[in-house]
Amino acid sequence: MEKIIEVKDLELSFHTFAGEVKAIRGVNFEVFKGETLAIVGESGSGKSVTTKAIMRLLPESSTEFKNGQILFDGKDLLKTSDKDMQKVRGKEISMIFQDPMTSLNPTMPIGKQIMEPLLKHQKLSKEEARRKSIELLSLVGMPQPEQRMKQYPHQFSGGQRQRIVIAVALACNPKLLIADEPTTALDVTIQAQILELMKDLQKKIETSIIFITHDLGVVANVADRVAVMYGGQIVEFGTVDEIFYNPQHPYTWGLLSSMPSLDTTEEKLYAIPGSPPDLLDPPKGDAFALRSEYAMKIDMEEKPPLFKVSDTHYAATWLLHPDAPKVDPPAAIVERMKKFPGSRYYEGSAGGGR
Amino acid sequence: MAKKLLEIKNLKQHFNVGKKNEVRAVDGISFDIYQGETLGLVGESGCGKSTTGRTIIRLYDATDGEVIYDGVNVHAKKSKKELKAFNQKMQMIFQDPYASLNPRMKVLDIIAEGLDIHGLVKSPAERTKRVHELLETVGLNPEHANRYPHEFSGGQRQRLGIARALAVEPEFIIADEPISALDVSIQAQVVNLLKELQEEKGLTYLFIAHDLSMVKYISDRIGVMYFGKLVELGPAEVLYSKPLHPYTQSLLSAIPLPDPNYERNRVRIGYDPKSHNYRDDDEVIMREVTPGHFVLCSEREFEQMKKNSTTV
Repeated sequence: MEKIIEVKDLELSFHTFAGEVKAIRGVNFEVFKGETLAIVGESGSGKSVTTKAIMRLLPESSTEFKNGQILFDGKDLLKTSDKDMQKVRGKEISMIFQDPMTSLNPTMPIGKQIMEPLLKHQKLSKEEARRKSIELLSLVGMPQPEQRMKQYPHQFSGGQRQRIVIAVALACNPKLLIADEPTTALDVTIQAQILELMKDLQKKIETSIIFITHDLGVVANVADRVAVMYGGQIVEFGTVDEIFYNPQHPYTWGLLSSMPSLDTTEEKLYAIPGSPPDLLDPPKGDAFALRSEYAMKIDMEEKPPLFKVSDTHYAATWLLHPDAPKVDPPAAIVERMKKFPGSRYYEGSAGGGR
Repeated sequence: MAKKLLEIKNLKQHFNVGKKNEVRAVDGISFDIYQGETLGLVGESGCGKSTTGRTIIRLYDATDGEVIYDGVNVHAKKSKKELKAFNQKMQMIFQDPYASLNPRMKVLDIIAEGLDIHGLVKSPAERTKRVHELLETVGLNPEHANRYPHEFSGGQRQRLGIARALAVEPEFIIADEPISALDVSIQAQVVNLLKELQEEKGLTYLFIAHDLSMVKYISDRIGVMYFGKLVELGPAEVLYSKPLHPYTQSLLSAIPLPDPNYERNRVRIGYDPKSHNYRDDDEVIMREVTPGHFVLCSEREFEQMKKNSTTV
């Protein structure tokens, strides 16, 4: 499959008054054509910073790229000049932000905002750009697109605004769309509509998507592959089924079991103790060790490498080392694993999905 | 059955009354909350769930209707003294742990504010001791008392908000989206804390949220709101397994679950308020379809639902 973007050994720090924050500590991943890669993690895990690094949207004065490459179309985006970067943003790679209330310009009619990338990148005439914008608006499901072109962002609801933002992002048929928590600010019913819209459009224009979220339900809905981030590193990645039905890293176990499913009846919810690591002074070994009941001595001393689970599934935990003791994951996780052929708890094809 | 702690009767909260932009945020809702239970209130943003909570605790004066707490009408005219006694029984935990704590006050003073107002402590030493106890109750250290809110993470701040609410030993707590602003792993911690405290102190909660899976987990009964009206109210299990109102069905079908197989086959149900086809003479009120399970419906729909629930 064709690789659209490849992030290699990315390491970056922010210089703050308090000291050096090691926000990204060695991140590797790639995105293939037409797929959706979901990056999950808590706030501060580095998921947004990673994508902002791809777009080169981080403040230059305080950001230090220490190592790594971001290969897009054969060139390293980290070494691209600002001027060339402007030709990439909005054209080859575009981005949808979390808050549809602040990512549109309140003083400009929305039509003008959709036309902007078309005029700039595709050098269309005003009339052509106008026609294309109306097309885009109806593509994202906006009723009466022609009349709506003249209206301002405050005249739209949150879900409609996010549709407009998507129209702007898709204006130039980007190869890669980065969606940074695009539905977090929306209601569940609106969220469902926007997710359906994004999947639909992805099929139509064959764009690849990096989808950032902390909502595992949304991940299960949109993702082909999933990368779990913790403390500035990817601790586990695999296909969506591998992550949800055969997770290996204790942090992934924790995340999956701390969400109540609609049919849970157990009295107490599993909670990951403590709070995320302070990246001013990141822990030496496994960043999650201090919060993990499965931590071993080596977790405190040495950072675990990525162990291979399958061709598509890797996890950075010493538990996968051949010499590690065999531990049982939390009960809720074992339940999940029973459904997955290839996991050690697989119970035949009895149940299947719900 | 436990005793009724709170009775809400036809509560209305309208804003800009008489003007062109009148908003009927809460438009005639009635429900009871029993002692020791958790009632979850869900709905989309703008449906009036937060306004309901705020009106109950009298942050707004109700346009119409009654809130009866332990036999006393909350919104009736009251002397300052009576109000104060009432305020001590009912407390609130807010959504935003960043905006709800005064950044210029030390944790000690934030938590002790209620103690001071209600004269619950006699000496500074007792005041400090009480705050230390409260911090421990919510899983923080007594040393934290001398810090300022900005020194805490989101989850810790929400614990401070809970400690402040507990300080005056209330019976009833309104939690307005207490976990929405927190990370997934921290949400579980706070929800567990709220559950433990309820068991220990026999608290009653009104839990307002839009995260339906968390609400189901914490609530005994759940009310679903839509455009200022309560459309369905029932035991948590029943409401999720057998939702009757089409809006509830639509809402439930929209929740993404952390299960890829389920997600691949999920069918979303849309909701169109026009689908009811209410006639002008239809009386649309809350009706009890099965014991404890109320649905906003017309007589016709009611008969239909009753028929369906007996055949299934």
